[in-house]
Amino acid sequence: MAAVIDKEKCNACGICVRICPTDVYYGSKAKEIPVVTYPEECWHCNACVHDCPQNAIHLRIPLTMQVAYKS
Amino acid sequence: MKDIKLNIEQIEADVLCIGGGPAGLCAAIRASEKGANVVVADKSNTLRSGDAGMGNDHFMCHIPDVQGERPGFFSKIGKMSQAVTETFWENAYDLVKRWDSWGIPMKYEGKYEFAGHSMPGQPDFFLHFSGQNTKVKLTKQAKKTGVRIINRVMILDLIHDNGTIAGAIGFDVRESKLLVFKTKAVILATGKCMRLFPQNTGSLFNTSTSPINTGDGRAMAYRAGCELSDMELNDRWSGPKYFARNGRGSWMGVFKDPNGIQIGSGKEMTGHFYPQLHENYQKSGRGPVYMDLSDISDKEYEDMKYWLVHEANTPILDFFKEEGVDPKEHPFEFMTYGLFTPGGINYNEKCETPLAGLYAAGDEFMSFYIAGAAVFGSIAGESAASFAAKTKTSDEKHTQTLVVKTKEFLETVLNRTDGATWQEANSAIQQVMADYCGLVRSETMLTAGLEHLRRLKKKLPQVLMAQNTHELMRCVEVLNLFDIGEITFVAAQERKESRQHHHRVDFPFTNPMLNEQRLVVKNKKGQPVPEWRMKA
Repeated sequence: MAAVIDKEKCNACGICVRICPTDVYYGSKAKEIPVVTYPEECWHCNACVHDCPQNAIHLRIPLTMQVAYKS
Repeated sequence: MKDIKLNIEQIEADVLCIGGGPAGLCAAIRASEKGANVVVADKSNTLRSGDAGMGNDHFMCHIPDVQGERPGFFSKIGKMSQAVTETFWENAYDLVKRWDSWGIPMKYEGKYEFAGHSMPGQPDFFLHFSGQNTKVKLTKQAKKTGVRIINRVMILDLIHDNGTIAGAIGFDVRESKLLVFKTKAVILATGKCMRLFPQNTGSLFNTSTSPINTGDGRAMAYRAGCELSDMELNDRWSGPKYFARNGRGSWMGVFKDPNGIQIGSGKEMTGHFYPQLHENYQKSGRGPVYMDLSDISDKEYEDMKYWLVHEANTPILDFFKEEGVDPKEHPFEFMTYGLFTPGGINYNEKCETPLAGLYAAGDEFMSFYIAGAAVFGSIAGESAASFAAKTKTSDEKHTQTLVVKTKEFLETVLNRTDGATWQEANSAIQQVMADYCGLVRSETMLTAGLEHLRRLKKKLPQVLMAQNTHELMRCVEVLNLFDIGEITFVAAQERKESRQHHHRVDFPFTNPMLNEQRLVVKNKKGQPVPEWRMKA
């Protein structure tokens, strides 16, 4: 669940760690690929996805949050 | 054996803004413009924190050149005093122009456009604006004005002496630092209270507006002696089923039943202003209710997606994209979300509270959405700067006592290795609220529930544990939720009638004698006590 980082694309700039409103990236180290320490606290707001200069993050929407639609 | 110690750091300023949303940042900008030395403390990062973090597309205001004379209906919007309402309408357009000058696009294709989010049959009062980067622009403007922003700070209590505010105490949520803010005035702008009631969505953080808004401002104001208003009048919202997100006013389709029959003619208060529609349909066996976009034109569909981006709904659009499903072809369900707390600090038209030097703005009492945050944030900044200019910094001794006590408590929670996590405590309060003080309320249930809540609340300081300062922040949020919960119970007991979402099965009628009164709860020697006030 929550943010998933593409390690190939990530340049460890730390923007996502700096801006995440709920601090799911708590404990990430400077100049290293961020770690998602608290995935259950992700609000799925897309801030990190939007602000990532490398387009390296996407959200995996948990099964409990998937929108119910007509097929 | 853990041995985490918090180092003390002192920060001095004229004005402290707690919360860096539209209200807190507009307050900081205005106070700074008025010559005050201003610091903003935000528990996230002001660039993307809070309800407005990823945007908002509607700004309530009156622009005479576009809308003509102000319709009388406008003066009935909002839940605060008439003076506050008038002040709002007089100042909102000025804020539109200020925001525009700071780089927030308030015009669409070169002109002001009023559309969406309005009530059926009433004039449009929401200006459509491209607000996805509102917080980025406000942060930039604040820095340009000389405001000092300190991110990742959880403020837990106000420092006050005999009813006069002298600052606040908090901690860095990433480093082991206790922060003591010594200021002449404090502005509370911490938003709504979202994690008190379960949201019917299966997780603590699946909330329609920001889950980290936990009524921190209300709780610390109450503890410092400020009364809270309308705490029993909880509200609900609706939106896409299972992905809780506000923005229902930006979905341009119509609500249809499972047979594709439109619900209502579109002229009633269906859906947007009647959030229980979805729940009631489901209960009556006619559900689910679908948001159906099949009848809108391709141009309208593209426009809708544009505004949904600015209304912070990109994750939902992305979900459909990844699913390979076009929502125009596939109606999706709407649902009624859980209760939340719009009531709180009933600040006046100058944003003053009953405590000298304490101001509040924005959703500390939810009334005018993001436009209200802008207007009353600015007014709070002006009031606080003017108060600070004629005030001396207060008593050192009182601050020291509070610092020692707070440091000891926080270190105890940090060093505890066996006990209750914040998630356990948060689930416990949500359970009590839903079962005893939720959609159905009665004297006997409220009495039993309050007794249980108080028993749990008493245990919290002895059992809460946090592995680090991040979890410590969540623990403090939960402590605030318990205070707000207790206040909600006390107010719900006192209001012996039914009104809005406050449904007393033992008092099912609305008492017209109470139309002109509002209920407040005061802190008397640590106990919440209800009192009635005539509405201003």
